Amino acid sequence: MATRMKLKLKTVFVLYFMVSLMGLIYALMQLGQRCDCAEHDMPKDRTISRLRGELHRLQEQMRKAEPTKLPHKLAVKPAQPTIYIITPTYTRFVQKAELTRLAQTFLHVPQLHWILVEDSPHKTPLVSGFLASSGLAYTHLHTPTPRDRKLQEGDPSWLKPRGAEQRNEGLRWLREDRRGQPGADTQLGVVYFADDDNTYSLQLFEEMRGTQRVSVWPVGLVGGMRYERPVVEGGKVVRFHTGWRPSRPFPLDMAGFAVSLKLVIANQDACFDGDAPMGFLESSFLQGLVTMDELEPKAENCTKVLVWHTRTEKPKMKREEALQKQGLGSDTAVEFQSGIAMNQCPVINEHRFLFEAKTAQECKFARPQVQHQSP
Amino acid sequence: MPKRRDILAIVLIVLPWTLLITVWHQSAITPLLAARKCKDDRHESRRDSRNTFTLKEPCTSENNKDIVEVVRTEYVYSRQPPWSDVLATLHVITPTYSRPVQKAELTRLANTFLHVPNLHWILVEDSQRQTLLVTRLLQETGLNYTHLNVETPRNYKLRGDMRDPRIPRGTMQRNLALRWLRETFSPNNSNSQPGIVYFADDDNTYSLDLFEEMRSTRKVSVWPVAFVGGLRYESPKVNTLGKVYGWKTVFDPNRPFAIDMAGFAVNLRLILFKPQAYFKLRGVKGGYQESSLLRELVTLSDLEPKAANCTKVLVWHTRTEKPVLVNEGKKGFTDSNVEI
Repeated sequence: MATRMKLKLKTVFVLYFMVSLMGLIYALMQLGQRCDCAEHDMPKDRTISRLRGELHRLQEQMRKAEPTKLPHKLAVKPAQPTIYIITPTYTRFVQKAELTRLAQTFLHVPQLHWILVEDSPHKTPLVSGFLASSGLAYTHLHTPTPRDRKLQEGDPSWLKPRGAEQRNEGLRWLREDRRGQPGADTQLGVVYFADDDNTYSLQLFEEMRGTQRVSVWPVGLVGGMRYERPVVEGGKVVRFHTGWRPSRPFPLDMAGFAVSLKLVIANQDACFDGDAPMGFLESSFLQGLVTMDELEPKAENCTKVLVWHTRTEKPKMKREEALQKQGLGSDTAVEFQSGIAMNQCPVINEHRFLFEAKTAQECKFARPQVQHQSP
Repeated sequence: MPKRRDILAIVLIVLPWTLLITVWHQSAITPLLAARKCKDDRHESRRDSRNTFTLKEPCTSENNKDIVEVVRTEYVYSRQPPWSDVLATLHVITPTYSRPVQKAELTRLANTFLHVPNLHWILVEDSQRQTLLVTRLLQETGLNYTHLNVETPRNYKLRGDMRDPRIPRGTMQRNLALRWLRETFSPNNSNSQPGIVYFADDDNTYSLDLFEEMRSTRKVSVWPVAFVGGLRYESPKVNTLGKVYGWKTVFDPNRPFAIDMAGFAVNLRLILFKPQAYFKLRGVKGGYQESSLLRELVTLSDLEPKAANCTKVLVWHTRTEKPVLVNEGKKGFTDSNVEI
């Protein structure tokens, strides 16, 4: 009886050991598998599981499709040069909207690093929060423009060059960052100055990626014309087609050229001159870097427009000011920027022509709107 | 008769296992496994040379966050995200007309839409014939689109080329899109082809969160819009029960629907079940355009507030400046064959 008892216990223990071992192996296999979840009686959980299954299926589909679907332009090459985009920005009503749609464009571009420089003595929470949730690789910098170089209220936008200090700060950071990482690979890159209100097509970024020194292309809606462009003959830039001051050393817009990172690092002193006369900001930077015949024409020998110098209207806040005088302004806790107060009168616009006509009448005796002229 | 010692031993062995099995499919365990899997994904993506961006949000064990996070960052290098059978289709109706900034506006709008899954873009041109510019642009983006056109009648009495000012801009185009939807989709299939209709103008700015908010619309959903009505933003007034009871605007808050075109979305089912509902063409006072459609579709109490009970701004009514083309002169300085 005793031996049978002992045997029984021994077998029980052996059985227990085997069962627990198998259970453990089963648990390890289950790790990372899709949950069957047929036992869930909560419809919400069921939906979530179904969606998750759907999501994983889509992801696998994408991973399979990616090598064949990508157009050749976006095909990944080994050690693809990174595009460093330097964008100066400043606080105003439309800032968040502008940055939002800019980020939506940049999210389509591989190997992109966004250097956003605020015109402010400190980092603003709006931009910090925005960048953190954008999904882009970024660097957040800030530097205030000295007061005498700042545009005052009522000044037309072309009076003083804007963003020079911020772009210089971006260049400074880039040079310092690269200094800390020696090696031929880290010098592979292209630097592009993108303003936050322009419009960029995705093809532009692929065109500029192969820049060896400085590449150029046409820019739409600038210089008082449909587009400005370099004129290319025999694969070289011979002159510039522009309607405003063509005698400038480089009559280009900021959005019309990109510089290779190697050149930026090799010329440590090249920067933008904030005191340069109107329209000479780009020349002040490019003069020390390159000569006209060294320029590389892109966009099919500068015949295609891939970037547009769009500008966004200042939103009309007349009613907001009226409300605020009564102490009933819209809730400022809803994230926004308190911009410069507007004293201009709205013009009749086609969308809400009947709405605006009333206010235009009120504006009969207001001062005339300052006409914007692009350089 | 089995000894007490044996019974005790057996109980001690069996008890932990029964506990484990009962707890196995509960939520306490599966998120642990999900979080583990998440970490594996992250490591994978770092090793993969194509996904070089860093996932900024920490991987949480909450199910919803898991889904949104991955969708947002994984498809960067491909074009439009693959079509899903689970998500409702967003039919986005955009009227457009030829002017110098048109290609730029449509380009950046397309760049935004390329991030949104299950989006169907209905682009309606205000022109007699479909222009090559728009046709080419739509083909190049790779979006799922429908290209329509209808010309707003011109009033030749006003300086030759002006449109009839009595018809607000974009009305005929939006109505054509509504008609196309009614001709293409039948109300009987509305459950198998769920859809949401949104009117997006080509110069506004949309955040990607907006599209996910509107996907769950049952009838008509509303949210705040920035830069309209002369205010920082206009929004519907929402009471503690989550129902819309008024409009927080300065310009005529007594309109039936004091909301901008970009501030609401309609379920496709509603559009199909009320085939007579269109935007009123003539005799519409400024700001009443949206009401002319909405009052035929829904009442105030049926509105669903989105964007955290209408406290977040997810769409901005930006307007692009008209470029000053003074240097073109009379004959045109630049080559007109170059498309801008």
